Amino acid sequence: MNLTVNGTTQGVESGPLATLLDVLREELGVTSPKAGCEQGGCGACTVLVDGEPQRACLTPVGTLEGASVTTVEGLGAPESLSPLQQAFTHHYAAQCGFCTSGMMLAADAYLKRGGTDDREAIQEALAGHVCRCTGYVKIIDAVAAVARGDSFDMTVTAPSPGMTNLGGVS
Amino acid sequence: MKAVGARLPRYDGIEHVTGRTTYVDDVRVPGTLWAKALRSPLHSATITSFDASKAEALPGVHAVITHADVPLLEYGHLSALGIPADEPLLAKDEVRYKGQPIAVVAAEDEETAMAAVQAIAVEYEERTPLFDIRKAFDGDAPKVHQWGNWYPHFEGEMDRRQIRKGSVEDAFDKADTIVQGVYRPAAIEHVPLETQVALVVPEASGRLTIYSCTQALYFSMGVVAAHLQVPLNKLKVVGGTVGGGFGGKVDTASETMCALLAQKSGRPVKWRWTREEEFLCSSTRAPWHMEIADAVTKDGWILGRKMLTLHDSGAYARFSPYGLTKHSFHHTGAYTIPNLDFDGYVVFTNRVPTTAMRGFGVTSVSFATETHMSRIADVLGLDPYEVRLKNANRIGDTSPNRIVYTDPSTVSVVKALAGGMDVELQPDYAAMTRDPREGDLLPEHLVSQIANPEDH
Amino acid sequence: MTQATEVLFPTSADEAVAQFGDGSGVTVVGGGTIVMPEITYGRLAPTKALVLSHAGLDTLGVSGTTVTLGAGLPVERLAALAQDVKALAECALNVADYEIRRQATVGGNLCAGEGQDAPRGDLQGPLLALDAQARSVGADGESTEPLEDFLGRRAGRLLLDVTFEKPAASAFAAIDYPHTHEYTVLAVTGVRTTGGETRLAATGLAGFGMRLRSAEAAASDPEAAGAAAVGDVSLGDDALASAWYRKRTLPVLVRRVLSELEEAA
Repeated sequence: MNLTVNGTTQGVESGPLATLLDVLREELGVTSPKAGCEQGGCGACTVLVDGEPQRACLTPVGTLEGASVTTVEGLGAPESLSPLQQAFTHHYAAQCGFCTSGMMLAADAYLKRGGTDDREAIQEALAGHVCRCTGYVKIIDAVAAVARGDSFDMTVTAPSPGMTNLGGVS
Repeated sequence: MKAVGARLPRYDGIEHVTGRTTYVDDVRVPGTLWAKALRSPLHSATITSFDASKAEALPGVHAVITHADVPLLEYGHLSALGIPADEPLLAKDEVRYKGQPIAVVAAEDEETAMAAVQAIAVEYEERTPLFDIRKAFDGDAPKVHQWGNWYPHFEGEMDRRQIRKGSVEDAFDKADTIVQGVYRPAAIEHVPLETQVALVVPEASGRLTIYSCTQALYFSMGVVAAHLQVPLNKLKVVGGTVGGGFGGKVDTASETMCALLAQKSGRPVKWRWTREEEFLCSSTRAPWHMEIADAVTKDGWILGRKMLTLHDSGAYARFSPYGLTKHSFHHTGAYTIPNLDFDGYVVFTNRVPTTAMRGFGVTSVSFATETHMSRIADVLGLDPYEVRLKNANRIGDTSPNRIVYTDPSTVSVVKALAGGMDVELQPDYAAMTRDPREGDLLPEHLVSQIANPEDH
Repeated sequence: MTQATEVLFPTSADEAVAQFGDGSGVTVVGGGTIVMPEITYGRLAPTKALVLSHAGLDTLGVSGTTVTLGAGLPVERLAALAQDVKALAECALNVADYEIRRQATVGGNLCAGEGQDAPRGDLQGPLLALDAQARSVGADGESTEPLEDFLGRRAGRLLLDVTFEKPAASAFAAIDYPHTHEYTVLAVTGVRTTGGETRLAATGLAGFGMRLRSAEAAASDPEAAGAAAVGDVSLGDDALASAWYRKRTLPVLVRRVLSELEEAA
């Protein structure tokens, strides 16, 4: 079968029940989607299939004839980062970075379907994505910032709100 | 200093958002074999028979390793800190925890590796496991470990971490009330998004290139070298971005297993744990059992503390004696208590061995101490901020292990908490500082610790 | 990765039925959310996989008061029934997260075997309370039967669709195990039909979802109904919660659902 990944169509040798995750990582060398659990529980493998976020570890590749897959490499390259990529960098939304790929693609789809900066709505959209490092706040900050149309100074990170309001620190 | 206080972007931030960060599982070396482990299905058993011949004969299987393949089977991760070796890299005659690795195979692909593991024939004779650290001291408790049920090799061959300061008996005599509490935090899984993974490449020179997710690269290098009995210059360890560790990727053994498989097969070998292995077989933060009895006055001074800690080390020692040691130094938390009687035991059970996790050893006792401070306030009918501020460490106070505090932050932190919670402190409490104790803040029971810190 | 001998992608319901045959040796793949991890972890090695992604079974049909859900309908699409069948939509939107819901199917949710460590089949609750009729094929040909009966013999059957009548009112109450996406520990659905009958069903039990018939008989007295519900079910310990916990919370959910139905009157 043929699979279009980030705009390039290529032939796939793996059998139809191979997971899209294994096809991307092992056969096609696209390693940004991660094997966080291989059970659909963590969201680290999420890619876009025809623009909609989907768990690659749960998807038999045979169901994707003619489909277009987008991974985080397809959002933008270092020299031309998308607003979402800039926001994640500026708002320090990635620490170890392992959840970042899936997190960003889910966020990208959310924004493209008209998602606003409402924090609960963002949380609901990203509900399937586990992050063990950041505590999620800055991820939500980043997505909200893009929804608002903020622009990002890439030379500095955003200040953390609410950290300096404790009284009496000597 | 230009960096401190500046809001600098991460040097790997752009790699993260463009999918270019290379984790161990992203490294591609042609000819890499997949590893899978045979793990004990039982909590405690002797191995009565073992036969890997069918696995070795399966097409696509390139190597199987067992304890017999390990040049130095037992190596103490912290032997340099005086903790002797106790754990075999691969189980030999017995298994002491469910999930303990017995053999590891390397095969052409993941499916073949899984089939090979299934093809290994093992027979066990089950034994009664021990799970409750409190029962470890019973005469009829199952014997878990060759050293007995608790670690006996603290300095001077003591079987516990012991701290004695002043006289807890006097403190209990003088107390208006004794406040008791038992605290039992449970085990916690690290759950890094990246599961444990290692890739080892045998080079033509005879060296091994090791890609590891370890948090402690040089440490792991030493562990591999010791088990393989090779000089360090035979190993090239490539660290890099770890997909979350939180302390759970310090005691990794997967590099060593892959190194042995790489040597035996002559091929690069990768072992990526599944999420189920992470949850069921990876080391966790330890469960603890802590009993505290504080001698207190009715106006909220803590005269003395008697404390017993049991730390669940699981089936082997790993870093537990070190964790308990840190715990013991911090057992009064952010507060000054001059009369102490502390005993801490590292107890063995048939659980997955426990390991470091953020704040190793100390988060447990911080939880216990803080909860206990609130309990004291509750029992005495006093304000919980005031009880804390009175007993807070000040310049010149001493720690459980006789360190004189020069820079304690308890007072400012408690006051900041009150501010953040919109709690208005009484004026004399709001005015407190960390300056050396005097006047009302230097009651009789604290005088001698200030005067003779070395005796206290 | 699998060495399945045969992977079939029927492009119509008829083709799916023909390829399913009598079902022997066939592994049905709806969305893949339940089956694919079993294959990945080596617990399932299908010799013949019937993948329904393109079989045209992803239909949601409303004809007057009759609603028909195709077995291949993604769970997320049940949001469209929020007005007419509130409990079903709420239950569906409580399953996992947006991505899983878009891939998981009604059929998979109803037909998946009991989970090893946690209950499965959230949709069984509302559909039992709605007294849905399940249409399936298998060794003895096509049959339509109450979902309750189908659940007892779903192995070896290919579910095609479920049909029910729109209720006068419905209510859904659940206890979730908190997570980034939640797992349902226990849930109760209540339905009041246009004819005035009250039906109750629960999921999160030992085994598949069940009607709470004793509770239904006492529906006019929520306290009594809650107490009676415990006798209708078998409860178990699992990774999410203990039987003890479920025994104490089941009456609470029953009372909540009955109160909500009362208010909707």
